[in-house]
Amino acid sequence: MQGQVRIENLGKTYHARQRRGLFKSSESRVEALKGIHLAIQPGELFGLLGPNGAGKTTLIKCLTTLLLPTSGAAWVNGYRLTEQDNLIRATVGCMLMGERGLYWKLSGRENLEFFGALYHLMPATRRRRAAEIIDLLELGEIAERAVETYSSGQKMKLAFGKALINDAPLLILDEPTNTLDLPSARELRAVVGALNERGKTVIYTTHIMSEAETLCDRVAIVDRGEVLALGSVPELKASLKREAVTRIEGIISNAAARAVEGLPGVSRAALAAVNGHNTLTVMSPEPRAVLPRLIEALTAHQAVVQKIVPEEVTLEDVFIARTGRTLADDTRVK
Amino acid sequence: MAAVLRPSLAHKLSAALAETRLRLLNISRYPGQLAMEIIIPIVFASMPMLLGRASGGGAAAENFAANTGTANYVAYLLIGSNVFTLVSNAFWHVAYWLRFEQETGTLESVYLTPTSSLTLVTGVALYSAARGLVAAGLAYIVGCLIFQVNPLQGDVLLALAFIGAGLVPLYGLTLLFGALVLKVKESNALIGLMQWVVSFLMGIFFPVAVLPPLVRLVALLFPPTWMTNGVRSALLGVGFFFGEWYLDLAVLWVFMLFAPLFGFWVFNRVERNVKRNEGMGQF
Repeated sequence: MQGQVRIENLGKTYHARQRRGLFKSSESRVEALKGIHLAIQPGELFGLLGPNGAGKTTLIKCLTTLLLPTSGAAWVNGYRLTEQDNLIRATVGCMLMGERGLYWKLSGRENLEFFGALYHLMPATRRRRAAEIIDLLELGEIAERAVETYSSGQKMKLAFGKALINDAPLLILDEPTNTLDLPSARELRAVVGALNERGKTVIYTTHIMSEAETLCDRVAIVDRGEVLALGSVPELKASLKREAVTRIEGIISNAAARAVEGLPGVSRAALAAVNGHNTLTVMSPEPRAVLPRLIEALTAHQAVVQKIVPEEVTLEDVFIARTGRTLADDTRVK
Repeated sequence: MAAVLRPSLAHKLSAALAETRLRLLNISRYPGQLAMEIIIPIVFASMPMLLGRASGGGAAAENFAANTGTANYVAYLLIGSNVFTLVSNAFWHVAYWLRFEQETGTLESVYLTPTSSLTLVTGVALYSAARGLVAAGLAYIVGCLIFQVNPLQGDVLLALAFIGAGLVPLYGLTLLFGALVLKVKESNALIGLMQWVVSFLMGIFFPVAVLPPLVRLVALLFPPTWMTNGVRSALLGVGFFFGEWYLDLAVLWVFMLFAPLFGFWVFNRVERNVKRNEGMGQF
């Protein structure tokens, strides 16, 4: 397996202490990554899609040398993880933790120049790089202000800019559009796309299905520390070709969703609550035949059906088909 | 790509100085803090000074000279409180750097870069030493002027040599302390405890000769004890531990060789242990 990033059987196990009241505690073992295999090619915009707690950030932290993996091996930009960590860090631009990774008492420009120095850029080079990034992200008007006065979106933009300071061939972006409003998120995605077109390899983690669909060349769907599916967006959707997706909105209980899942002809059913509305996603190879049984089961469980919409297969449906859960669920390993 | 794969000493020094500059910029946003650092050691030394005057009366200076080797108890106590502030600040700055950055999230950001922790600590130590020396120097001069004694008596250059030689092993020790903070993720209580132990061992307001023998032995294993006595001997002539200034300075040189290496070795091991378990960012 070759690639700009090569991951072979990477595992990470934590020992977490569980507290029970004031004095009692016990140690538990948490398997955050379970033997991940991946190869990311140069110039690729690669998405890691999964719900909160799936293991995406743990994988990113291992690849950026913040965490030592428990097992397996990985190569980033040709350098071996745990043996050439300094070279990995020098050749990766990373956005992790968003706005928390900045010094709030310093100005945006001071932040960029400081991190430039930590990438061993000499003063003239880091001043030039900081100016280029400020221009690229249109931060000129706020560049001399203390970061603490920035809006959340402006801080995220600056945190993204920080990842560009060393002009690395590989960008690792962990949920970069979190807390951004829709236009700012679109703008940032456009910059990521443009950087990718200019030859930068990008690893982009997200739990927002539409982001992965519109932006990424290939996507790995991650859940509970494992890669469940891997391929281009059309390939992943095609893997569910025989399935049709029907979305039912209304007041639907968990019991009703379970009853639907048990119906003959239904392969998966997952319930998600969005803005007070429940949406039941049902997958079936024969949706028309199953519809009367489906409505019968829902009404038998006092569900109020407001809308039934047959839909195109999305990446979220791929996730549901593999896990029986939606991306909105928190699947943190307990 | 802009990043340098094999940084030279100049690149590393530039990174360390950027860290120093960052800290100085940050503290410049809190000007009241610096004023406090000048006032606190004066107030700290004033208490035993006034107690001595109250209990010793007119013979206070003579009594003090009989036990310490100098009648200038004002300068003696001010040196003690200022060297203690220097030592205490060194521990505070390194521990607080780690703890604060753990809590704000910037520690992970810094650890994402290729700059080594040795370079980062060097930058923090330079900042801490600059801030501590300016504050201690000003506090000593202002304190001497308030209590009407000459601040520049004795061999000032020799006193500065003892401070310089004492700072290097001191920052070596702060790395041990930093390692502890990194692991237990707590700084305030640790610093509180450490301040009492340090002030006691280094003889903040008294000569270590008055300590019980076993405690005195422990005190002499601690570089700030030699630094304090060296400064007092150079300025006030209280007497070097080995009789000659160069022998006492040589002891600090030995500490200078071993303390930073040992401190950094322990720090590296703890850092690796943290990366193996919970990770650098967890607080």
